Amino acid sequence: MAYEPVLTRYVREPNSFTLEHYLQHQRGYEGLRTALGRAPGDIIEQVKASGLRGRGGAGFPTGLKWQFVLKDTPKPKYICCNADESEPGTFKDHVLMERNPHLLIEGCAIACYAIGAKVAYIYIRGEFYHVQQVLEAEIAKAYAAGYLGKNIFGSGFDCDVFVHRGAGAYEAGEETALIESLEGKRAQPRLKPPFPAVAGLYQCPTAVNNVETLCNVPPIVLNGAEWFAALGPEKNGGPKLYCVSGHVKRPGVYEATMHTTLRELIYDERFAGGMLDERPLKAIIPGGSSVPLLLPDELDTPASFDHVQKAGSLLGSAGMIVLNDTVCMVWLAQNLLHFYRHESCGKCTPCREGGDWLYKLLQRVESGEGREKDIDLLYGVASNITGKTLCAFGDAAATPVLTTIARFRAEFEAHVREGRCTIPAEWRARQPMLAGHH
Amino acid sequence: METVTLTIDGRPVTVDKGKTVLQAAIESGISVPYYCYHPGLGVDGSCRVCIVKIEKMPKLQTSCSTTCADGMVVTTRDEDVVKARAGIFEFLLVNHPLDCPVCDKGGECPLQDFSYAFGPAESRMDFPRRVFDGEGVKADVDFGPTLMLNRNRCILCTRCVRFMREVEGDAQIGIVDRGNGSEIATFREEGVHSLLSGNLMDVCPVGAITTRDYRFKSRPWDNPNVVDTICTRCSKGCSTSAWLKAKPEWARGSQLIRMTPRYNPAVNDYWMCDIGRFGYHWIEGEQRLRRPMVRRGSALESCAWHDVLPKVREQIQQAGTADPSSVRFLVSAHAATEELFVLRQTIDGLMGADARGSVSLTWARSEKTQPAGTRFVVPATDAPNVRGAHDLGFAVGAGHDGAPDLGALRAAVEGGRVRVLYVIDPGPDGSLGDVAWVAAARRAGTLPFLVVQGVVRHDLVEAADVVLPGATSTEKDALYTNDQGMVQPSSRAILPPGEAQEDWRILVSVARALGLSLSYDSSDAVRVALAAAMPGTAYAGAGAVTFSRPIPSRNWLQASNPSERWKWDFMFQDLPPVKGHSVQMEGVPVKDIIPLKPTQA
Repeated sequence: MAYEPVLTRYVREPNSFTLEHYLQHQRGYEGLRTALGRAPGDIIEQVKASGLRGRGGAGFPTGLKWQFVLKDTPKPKYICCNADESEPGTFKDHVLMERNPHLLIEGCAIACYAIGAKVAYIYIRGEFYHVQQVLEAEIAKAYAAGYLGKNIFGSGFDCDVFVHRGAGAYEAGEETALIESLEGKRAQPRLKPPFPAVAGLYQCPTAVNNVETLCNVPPIVLNGAEWFAALGPEKNGGPKLYCVSGHVKRPGVYEATMHTTLRELIYDERFAGGMLDERPLKAIIPGGSSVPLLLPDELDTPASFDHVQKAGSLLGSAGMIVLNDTVCMVWLAQNLLHFYRHESCGKCTPCREGGDWLYKLLQRVESGEGREKDIDLLYGVASNITGKTLCAFGDAAATPVLTTIARFRAEFEAHVREGRCTIPAEWRARQPMLAGHH
Repeated sequence: METVTLTIDGRPVTVDKGKTVLQAAIESGISVPYYCYHPGLGVDGSCRVCIVKIEKMPKLQTSCSTTCADGMVVTTRDEDVVKARAGIFEFLLVNHPLDCPVCDKGGECPLQDFSYAFGPAESRMDFPRRVFDGEGVKADVDFGPTLMLNRNRCILCTRCVRFMREVEGDAQIGIVDRGNGSEIATFREEGVHSLLSGNLMDVCPVGAITTRDYRFKSRPWDNPNVVDTICTRCSKGCSTSAWLKAKPEWARGSQLIRMTPRYNPAVNDYWMCDIGRFGYHWIEGEQRLRRPMVRRGSALESCAWHDVLPKVREQIQQAGTADPSSVRFLVSAHAATEELFVLRQTIDGLMGADARGSVSLTWARSEKTQPAGTRFVVPATDAPNVRGAHDLGFAVGAGHDGAPDLGALRAAVEGGRVRVLYVIDPGPDGSLGDVAWVAAARRAGTLPFLVVQGVVRHDLVEAADVVLPGATSTEKDALYTNDQGMVQPSSRAILPPGEAQEDWRILVSVARALGLSLSYDSSDAVRVALAAAMPGTAYAGAGAVTFSRPIPSRNWLQASNPSERWKWDFMFQDLPPVKGHSVQMEGVPVKDIIPLKPTQA
């Protein structure tokens, strides 16, 4: 039986974002009503039993995260929805927020109820101005209909949901940087411990959850943990959104279960429909720009958290960047490092100094000015960043260098030997320019 | 206090519960480098150089942010740690200019020192460094009235940001831009305007923030000696260090070159205010009194001590015989406890203890403008020893946090009831408060005779009949009692100028001239007598107080160690090439200029 999408089934319909449509077609807010009739601890247990894992990138079990939120405290608790979708190659959350916002709003309300919070903040990235318009209009409707605000469904439960738009920084998607930004400070990560579950927003217990994660909560409450777990491989249950981009025929957001293999996502007619111009596949970045490359011989890997990890990469945000044979791997690394050096928050030394250094080295190798020792230097500098930074950004920034050299060292050597880029594709954009004075 | 025991590099280390691994290492003398950590500021964890390996933890951990636990096994010398740490030092020097030879921090720079100890032998970086405001000295920009900022040298440890936020109370410094373009900045580039600004130079681990006062004046290896002093500019009594610059061989003595705070958790922590830090120039200024002087007609003329004392004796005896209450003392609260004690003995011996009312204490007050939330409050009372005077039984107006009361003395002087006024003023100009009326009374003749035992030539000195040159607080071993009642020793850093004498000695000479048999031959002896006279008080231990003598400063240039020289020789080659600024080079074709270092393209 063909998989019936749960989260994105109606997103192509013109009025899918409205409250009426949500109530009519998706059993809207019944999950919240059901949840309010049960104990908060039951909801956490159900989410734990479902095996729901964070869809933002780390794949941490959501129920466990909620359970860790400090119980015995006079302080208020918060849900922060991470909607700072900024990972290159990732574009799934904005679809949910634009086309199915009430699913997220309901998810936020249930999450608040589960951990004992009364307020959820949806932190959306600076560039999502239009998303903010949609979300805020729909939140207002939810308030008017009594699904948010005081005494929801007469249960005595109060819940407020606010949208906060950031100023456009990738780092604001790191959960503690998101909290800092929400507090009005620079989006820079905090030291952990203490974790947000103990001291998060305003030093109060906080759970930070991705948009897609929270959107999975109402269906779990309505359909049960078993239904959810049965949708995918063991410990990788539930619906999953895949963002397939790059050299494919039909790039886009596709919902599937995690049984789906990388090959299906790229070649199957239900998904991206094959390689663009039938050119051969060179490599795939399966989880957003921060994860290691996979090669064509790993295409039969199911796109689940555990399988992709076993194959040597990470599912991350499920942003699948598909690369054909016209892609120069040195250029790829340079392109990504251009992003990472621009987005480094600058707080800790290895990432701040190393990112820029890597970019300059890659620029040199790509332009044909590189020397033999630059390749080892690139690898050495990237290794000096990995594992030494305050947050995971450093690892993310070093990965494109480490993975391209590990898999395609010969290409780097050819650049050095021939004094030019050996795979100069005509589609390639001009040398990226940074805004401002860099 | 509960303690925990952990192992660092195989050594068992026991520390108070709650301390971090870095603090434990520092306490036990295990060298772990750090920049963003400062014991007086919150933990930031951003510089990453304090990383260590901890058993059972998957990744290397920053020791500044890891709390010690019982049984923890920490390694700081393991190969992984050494390699990772060297990598971070390489990163720190990617953009930091190696202009150490012209940098004020050179020689006492943690980045320099730790890079030698923990950094890689050479950098693999061969791109031009990031430059914000130009290179070299040109990169220095104004950073408020007291400071200069060199953004190129900044390693973004954010100690200055955190100092302003956590201690000063007004977060004037922030970081603008992000990533590799991050820079320290103030709102609209207005710079730092704070009474505590000088501390920013102390907390800055590189030469990014320097004080205008100390800039280019000296190098650490020129300041071989440091003395523990107490700042006497207000009633707080901060522990300070007086740094002495060695003069050339042909000049005598040494020069006071800067004041820095000395850690004292009970008083000032790691900090001091700018008044004390920058307000020392008068001590070796042109206005210092160097010789005794007597009035001849309208002018003051220098004379010898043995000529001036009989005049003082004569006037005091004459006035005292006619009317004991016509001899009055106006004493600055800058007077040390020893001086006040000798004065008390003199008055008790000549006129009896009832006559202590003949002494009026005075001091200046100024309300300091500080942010409401500051953790370092500078008191309004601009004198160090009001509390000491009070403890010795002198009337001190409204007390150490109030104003002096000179109303009765002024009425007596202006009413012509005072024949001799003896002023004791070892503080800077203005520390007597408003005493223009004294000079006016002397000029009008209402006050027949004015003795000023002081240190600077100010208006009151100009009106005096006899001037006795005394010593400032940095020129004598002395006790001061701060506003908390703490009796604190301030050590002598330099000698009084010329023929000037320590004030207790002048007072003993005057007392002897007046016929009293005081036999003190040192300030130690005065303190022994003080202790004996005040048992059961905070002064009971005064006889055993020890004072520091100039000690060799700790922050010597490490590279002066010959074994380290090769690193200097290597690192200096990375300096930017000499530019064509010099007159001699003008008109010389570029190809004729020999570069200092061949480019390694």
